[in-house]
Amino acid sequence: MTTHARAESAHRPEPGRRGVLAAGGALALGATGLLTGCGGDTKDGGSGDRFRAAFTAGGSQETLDPHVAPNFVDQARAKALYDTLGTYADDMSVRKRLAESWESNAAGTRWRIRLRKAEFHDGKPVTSRDVLYSYRRAADPELGSPSQELLSAIDFGASRADGARSVVFVLEAPNFEFPTVFAGPGTEIVPDGTEDFRDPVGSGPFTHVSFTPGGTARYRRWADHWDGPPHIAELEIVPADEESARLNSLLSGQVHYAADMAGSSVERLRKDDATRLLTAERATAQQLLLRTGRKPFDDPRLVRAVQLGIDREALVRVALAGHGDVGNDLFGRGLRGYPDDLEPRERNVEEARKLVKEADAEGLRLTVETSSVDAAWEPAVELMGRQLDGVGLRLTGRTRAASTYFSEIDTQGVAAFNTTSTLPVSDFLQQRVRGGAARNQTQYASKKFDALLDRARTTRDEKDRLALLARAQRLARDESGLLVWAFSDANDAVRSSVRGLRAAPPNSHDWARFDRARVA
Amino acid sequence: MRRYVLRRSLLAVLQCLVVLVAVFAVGSLLPGDTADVLRGELGTPEQVAALRTELGLDEPVSTRFVHWLGGLFTGDLGNSLTTGLPVGEDLGRRVGVTLLLGAPALLLVTVLAPLAGTVSGLREGSRADRALNTAAVLLHAVPEFVLGLLLVASVSLAAGLLPATAVGMDAAALLARPAVLVLPVAVLTARHLCDLARQVRAGVAAERHGAVAAHLRLLGMRERTVVLRHVLPGALGPAAQQYARCVEGLLGGAVLVEAVFGLRGMGTGFVEAVQNRDLPQVQAYALVFAGTVVAVNLVGDLVAHRLAPRREVTA
Repeated sequence: MTTHARAESAHRPEPGRRGVLAAGGALALGATGLLTGCGGDTKDGGSGDRFRAAFTAGGSQETLDPHVAPNFVDQARAKALYDTLGTYADDMSVRKRLAESWESNAAGTRWRIRLRKAEFHDGKPVTSRDVLYSYRRAADPELGSPSQELLSAIDFGASRADGARSVVFVLEAPNFEFPTVFAGPGTEIVPDGTEDFRDPVGSGPFTHVSFTPGGTARYRRWADHWDGPPHIAELEIVPADEESARLNSLLSGQVHYAADMAGSSVERLRKDDATRLLTAERATAQQLLLRTGRKPFDDPRLVRAVQLGIDREALVRVALAGHGDVGNDLFGRGLRGYPDDLEPRERNVEEARKLVKEADAEGLRLTVETSSVDAAWEPAVELMGRQLDGVGLRLTGRTRAASTYFSEIDTQGVAAFNTTSTLPVSDFLQQRVRGGAARNQTQYASKKFDALLDRARTTRDEKDRLALLARAQRLARDESGLLVWAFSDANDAVRSSVRGLRAAPPNSHDWARFDRARVA
Repeated sequence: MRRYVLRRSLLAVLQCLVVLVAVFAVGSLLPGDTADVLRGELGTPEQVAALRTELGLDEPVSTRFVHWLGGLFTGDLGNSLTTGLPVGEDLGRRVGVTLLLGAPALLLVTVLAPLAGTVSGLREGSRADRALNTAAVLLHAVPEFVLGLLLVASVSLAAGLLPATAVGMDAAALLARPAVLVLPVAVLTARHLCDLARQVRAGVAAERHGAVAAHLRLLGMRERTVVLRHVLPGALGPAAQQYARCVEGLLGGAVLVEAVFGLRGMGTGFVEAVQNRDLPQVQAYALVFAGTVVAVNLVGDLVAHRLAPRREVTA
């Protein structure tokens, strides 16, 4: 195992950046544990009411423009300053935030959103014009909002404000899952006309004090926030790319919160009394992508052979060190829209071997793209290689640079590792499994699957809609080449003195919700 | 001497240019570009392409390099591809942090290394001499970041004596709380201090037993005078060159030490620039690093040349 510092994206874990210290760090961290079994001192960082949170900042564009903010640190900074119309519950269903209510016409093409009474930090009310401006801005592909694709479904020419606190969105096509966009990252509401974010104004729980790109972001409690003022007086979001630096600053009480802990840091924190782990269990979907649009995985028998040939239990035990659950080749366990009633995928070496033989692929050499983005991948490649040996396939890994890994696997190779954090199941299917979708990396293209998704979108009744999504998922589970072999934990950590923060899945409302934090 | 200085200075400028060309070439060979990194996996191909055009990354590498070089001569190092701010701004913020780390380290090395080296060189086999050798060997066996983590674990976390990291502190905050710098400076200094001291020690020992020293003693020169007038200049000459290497070592060590202690200095800045494929930023760092190393080596060579001209061949 090696330590790694990774910059996870808001929407899913992403361009992890391996720390400078990389290999060997684990050794030293181990020693750290031995030397300090009894934990650090108790002086809590900063003075009194100042709450400090350490995040990885690498790969961030370092702007407070919430619409170009794909990484976790960006999301945390945006959460302090801004509000969104909706917000994700733990299961990625959408809850109200700035929106007081929403409803659609019978066709699902016109959505009326009523805004709650809220103010921006400069005292101006949040109005429908601000909402329209923000959404139109974030829908611009040149800008780079993570939710741009979802927003591009809006016909802005036809959408309009209906009074100060009511907006009507007109969609290009019916979509009853449209509300997922209200909670999407990169859809924050900014005042109408905002172009400059050097001194940003939002309607979030904290006001901006100062920000240096690549440095500390400082915020102050905003007493007039509609959801009640934060408990802490000041918030500092500090960058610390190296995991050991985040860990040590937390252990010594220099920060109250350290994001993204993994591997040996988690073990170290488990033994420490002055800190508490916030573990969002099974929040990360560990995937193996088989490119069905290319040889050799254009042969469904080989996709099936890999599905049957890998031993998920062993992978969880070894690659995840037991901190995870076996996956059932479907994204989104525990989330709204995940079909819970499926039998688990059983390993069947004999059947797999037969399929390989039928496909005339015995001894076939396969390369899987991997990287230090996730510490689990390296041992996973090793183990999968040995498991697939048994079915007649020779699998080896090719390690790629972490910061550009995801763009590389877009075009290169026949198989690749990937991880995705919690996000709405319907979004996932729409953006990653649908034929021709920009992030469909396995190149799965099934008219039947796409038709099911389309039907789901245009189905008003939620139960029927989810049933259609479940049918689509069953199909994709067998054919798409996107294998979810496990669900792993996502870990952040706080000082024991911190109250009001709980373990919450990435992207959900309660994750990094510092306005609810207090220091005992 | 003047010709030597001129020749050596021209060579130094050439070295810098070679480094800059090489860094640009290698930098552009890295997989992916800033647009890929910033948009990450979430970026659609259209978004990445739009950003690429906006950043001017769709132009050929040679065009970009010529453009950059042109800017260099007019003092414009360009803007960071990541933040859009002039590269000087980021460097300016970080250079203070690295100076606060590097200057005390260099000072410690400069003062303590000749002292320790001379003392152990004059008393070979003494307790001080053996201690120096043992420390040097140990410090070579332990990488800097491991040493850093071990010190944090023992001194900061277990004993609570010094702050563990400098997370979230800029140069001003460090100045206000210099205790934070004790561990990083110690880690950065330790190995180079020992290395240089050993070099001085070897020189002192060799010169002291040399034929010239013996001859001077036979002539009735006092030992004190032999050491000050002959042994030390002879030993410090080659050490001046080693001293220059030591500055390079400090720059390299800064990358690791800054990472361990969460310092936002030039070392971590450089690493981030490479990871972000932010070529203008990478070039700016390369310019500063290469310039420093080349300049220090130049001075080192010139000093060595002055102290012991016969060693010119090694320059």
